[in-house]
Amino acid sequence: MRAVLTLCALLVLVADGANAEPLTDADEIVARANLASYYAGADGRSEVRMIISDAQGRQQRRQFTVLRRNVEAGGDQQFLVVFSQPSDVRNTTFLVHKHVDGDDDRWLYLPGLDLVKRISAGDKRTSFVGAHYFYEDVSGRRPADDSHELLETTDEHYVLRHIPLDRQTVEFSSYVTWIDRETLLPMKIEYTNPAGKLYRRVEVLEVADFDGHPTVTISRVSDLLGGGQTDMQFRYIKYDTGLPEQVFTERSLRNPPRDWLQRPRSGT
Amino acid sequence: MAPSATHWVLKTAALLVLLPAPLLAQDDDPWSNEQWDDEGWGQEEEALPFNGFVEAAAGTRFTRDPLLSKRETLEELRWRLETEWNTAALSLRFKSDLAYDGIEKGWDAEFRDLTVGFRIGESIDARIGQQVLTWGTGDLVFLNDLFPKDFVSFFAGRDDDYLKAPSATLRFTRFSDTINIDVAWTPLFEPDVYLNGERFSFFSPLAGSNVSPDPPLAAVEPSDSLSNGELAVRLFKTVEGREYALYAYDGFFKQPTALTAAFEPTFAALTAIGASLRQPAGPGLVNFETAYYWSRDDKDGTDPLLPNDQLRLLAGYEWEPKANFTVGLQYYLEWTRDHDALIRNSPAAEFEPDELRHVLTTRLSFRAGLDRHVFSLFAFISPSDRDFYLRPSYQFRYSDEWSWVLGGNLFGGDAQHTFFSQLQDASNAYLRIRYHY
Repeated sequence: MRAVLTLCALLVLVADGANAEPLTDADEIVARANLASYYAGADGRSEVRMIISDAQGRQQRRQFTVLRRNVEAGGDQQFLVVFSQPSDVRNTTFLVHKHVDGDDDRWLYLPGLDLVKRISAGDKRTSFVGAHYFYEDVSGRRPADDSHELLETTDEHYVLRHIPLDRQTVEFSSYVTWIDRETLLPMKIEYTNPAGKLYRRVEVLEVADFDGHPTVTISRVSDLLGGGQTDMQFRYIKYDTGLPEQVFTERSLRNPPRDWLQRPRSGT
Repeated sequence: MAPSATHWVLKTAALLVLLPAPLLAQDDDPWSNEQWDDEGWGQEEEALPFNGFVEAAAGTRFTRDPLLSKRETLEELRWRLETEWNTAALSLRFKSDLAYDGIEKGWDAEFRDLTVGFRIGESIDARIGQQVLTWGTGDLVFLNDLFPKDFVSFFAGRDDDYLKAPSATLRFTRFSDTINIDVAWTPLFEPDVYLNGERFSFFSPLAGSNVSPDPPLAAVEPSDSLSNGELAVRLFKTVEGREYALYAYDGFFKQPTALTAAFEPTFAALTAIGASLRQPAGPGLVNFETAYYWSRDDKDGTDPLLPNDQLRLLAGYEWEPKANFTVGLQYYLEWTRDHDALIRNSPAAEFEPDELRHVLTTRLSFRAGLDRHVFSLFAFISPSDRDFYLRPSYQFRYSDEWSWVLGGNLFGGDAQHTFFSQLQDASNAYLRIRYHY
């Protein structure tokens, strides 16, 4: 029985995977990679923790829960991030209404002041809560913000170069991604600055399957010039939980939706 | 303060003793495990999470205030304790501060949050108890936010959080697709923490100069009857990224700007309405807010003992011209109504506010080293009062546990009686060191 199952699994992989006719259109690869990375399921929840290490090796930590809902696949999305650690950011909440046509709307709730602070749109390629991750890494960069070129198709990866259409709003001049041909997850992203130096790397260290969606469970961002890195780990991942739109409103900033934030009984 | 502080300490001690021992042990530190394994995630939070900080703070004037014996403006050790307890139906929050204050020479205890939250039906969130409340669009400028502020903390260099003072309030928020409604009822009037002459001297129009009364000024508060409570209402809705809000308030001016018949400072009756809009514009965010203050007992502005009506306007813009560098600009106007009547009837017309008081504010903030270093300069500049208030600060987050802030509060101006000018002798520098647990 077990052999039959293994065989079936192999057949599925063969049919759907690396040996399938490779994609050749760069825009299509990017669109599908975007779906695979940020749009799995109709919605999702995950707990996240980060270890932020500076060049001297000093570490800081963050822990939070993310709820996500797709307004439409590949289109607008909503995110709610609720922090639990460290103690000075505990109960800080962050709400994003991501728009494909136009700037995202972002709010931060600071419980000490009972203040709902709006964050301006420009402010997205800066550190997310002190990590090497940017705000934009958390909610995803719009595919339409860059032009895409397929450099190479290897056995495992599509290798693409991306050039920003508006250089004023970003700190990089280009970046290269290695997209897994099977899962379509970007496994490595390397950014080059206007001086032509490689200065930033995002890499996926572990992928696991949840509810049929290949999902990044450990990733790392490295500052290649200044030193330092942030490791991010995802746990207690669940898709298609039925998150309603009302969860992604000012109501949840002040009163985080405990029902939806609760850790699922199954899952790892 | 001392007897009630003692009482409070005893109560806290009793509470701690009553708690089951395992809750206090906190042996499952979620960060204790360096490995990426299951243990490091900590348990689902069923037990009471205890956290907070201990902070030591010191601040001193640049020059002596001839009216005050102490040169120091801040000298305290503060302990914050926070916990919360959530069930399906209830959420209890506890956030207390216990501080030894070397300036006022005594213990100071305060619940910044002691509330129970629950839902009424599907659409109403209620939160009852001692809490900090904020609304409106201004950055350190308040029009429709008539919740209590602690200006003494603000000027002394405590954390910005302490600008907002808690009040014992019943807050109900109803959410719906049409419009959201916030109602905050504070049954007993809670004024601002105002300048009382203890830490900072202040300008008295009666004396015609700065004063530092001993005992410190204690303004006459409205009697503790429910009819003297405060009711604040906000209608709000976000449409396509635009945040609209309407506000109403019924209560009292939060500062003791009125005088009783016996010339004691007191709080005049106030009704206010207002509106605000905040939305993205270009690379940043724009906000507009307006409020009309009715001084209910001085409708025609002729009573010299009471403040006049005011129209307040605010326009602001905030954007990030460079990565990690944020600029905020605001223009704020206070238009005192019936100004002619005010001047005509005033015993000290030269100290009355201008008909139009303009204030410009700028916030410059630069973050470096993954937000570990934050350099900030907030400036209030009033061209009409010809005075200013600068708030430079440098914050360093050494680790998740340790952080410190070095900052200043710099006041200046031409006249002696204007709002920031009266604090010229209060210009100070401070250092705060905080350990989070």
